[in-house]
Amino acid sequence: MQEATFLILTALATGSQHGYGIITDVSQISGGRVRLRAGTLYTALDRLRTDELIAVDREEIVDNRLRRYYRLTPEGSEKLAAEAARLQANAGAALARLNLARPDLAGGTT
Amino acid sequence: MTDSPGLEQGYRRLLGWYPRAFRREHEDEILAVLMASAPEGQRRPRPAESANLLWSALKMRLRGPGAASQSWPWSDSLALFSLVAPLFLLLVDALQVALPYRLPKVTRFPLVAQALARHPEIGGLSLLTVPLFDVTVGCGVIVAVLVLLGLRWIPLAVMAASVVYWVAVGQSIPWIPYPLQLLTTGVYLLGTAALIASPGPRRGRQLVNWRYGVVLLVVAAAVQVSTLMYDAMRPPWVFLAPSTGRMAVYLAGSVVLTVAAVVLTVVWKLNRYFLLLLAVTFYPYALQLAFTSTGGSTDLLGNPTPAHLAALFLPPVLFACGTVLAAVAPRPSRLLPS
Repeated sequence: MQEATFLILTALATGSQHGYGIITDVSQISGGRVRLRAGTLYTALDRLRTDELIAVDREEIVDNRLRRYYRLTPEGSEKLAAEAARLQANAGAALARLNLARPDLAGGTT
Repeated sequence: MTDSPGLEQGYRRLLGWYPRAFRREHEDEILAVLMASAPEGQRRPRPAESANLLWSALKMRLRGPGAASQSWPWSDSLALFSLVAPLFLLLVDALQVALPYRLPKVTRFPLVAQALARHPEIGGLSLLTVPLFDVTVGCGVIVAVLVLLGLRWIPLAVMAASVVYWVAVGQSIPWIPYPLQLLTTGVYLLGTAALIASPGPRRGRQLVNWRYGVVLLVVAAAVQVSTLMYDAMRPPWVFLAPSTGRMAVYLAGSVVLTVAAVVLTVVWKLNRYFLLLLAVTFYPYALQLAFTSTGGSTDLLGNPTPAHLAALFLPPVLFACGTVLAAVAPRPSRLLPS
């Protein structure tokens, strides 16, 4: 799973969000490192909808502009949980090995 | 956030590069996000934004219509068709081999009787000795596996390679039964359009169910029975050994099976556009059958004139082209009223 996809699914994990909300949330989750552009976001959202990982929750008109909210589907939640577990396992393994080789890098004790 | 009309107009121009179905669904929504992200005072799209939108539009076009196109009424039917058409063609091929037309006994002409004793059937296992048939079915198996895996462009490439091979070995084509040639052409034409213009076989996998399988099985049986009828009424067999009784049985059988397929489609409320796609696929096949059964002096495909070829293939070609254009052609971007 690409990082942008992972972050979009993560942004939707706590509830439905509209496009601009996802962009700001992804920026916040990644500590400002990932700033999604509109083109990238909607290409990803379209693919995620095709794969049925997200779905349209509702639509609103705000200031005469369409605002569409997306939510995670049960399949999307499962996929995100599986990916998070995989990343956590990988990160754990990496940190454990770093701890053995270079305790200073992994924040371990000498 | 800004409300600059010039900026909005610029964004709309860029969004005009996206596929039509995607724009229909998302244009106003993306525009709202772009306008919300723009700092006060911005008058036109920035280069990085423009590049991102153009690059995303290109990716969307290469990927084909996605979820956004699912609001297009044809979209799901095409996705289903892109998945099941290659499988259906394999089923028809298998029936052609398994259930050949067995020629009636000829007693009046000893030379003919001898020849028939050596080749007592049309189609059947003898088809497997025709390299063109083997290669075509081989490509068909590959295409079927690829669409089952949810792929779109690689099966298209395999289908194109198969067509190139057909053209390259043109002199072997008469060894393939005409009905099978016509049906294969119909499936390839509409299948190609479906793969290009729909969300693809992955979407088809989400929509398909056992009812479609049953209907296609009944349609394949109707095809095989009507092919037997076609073989029975073709010269010279129809003159050397007329078999009116068998033809009547084949005719009744194919009509009953066709009606059964239509009734099942209606009763099970299957996708009506899907039925129309099947009808267009069958058009050349049905025309050839009708021409022969109403006393046409020769096959439309057996000795084709440009008019014959146009009558057989122009309608499905136009339909396929129209389908692709409707799905992917750009639409003039909507400009703001001045």
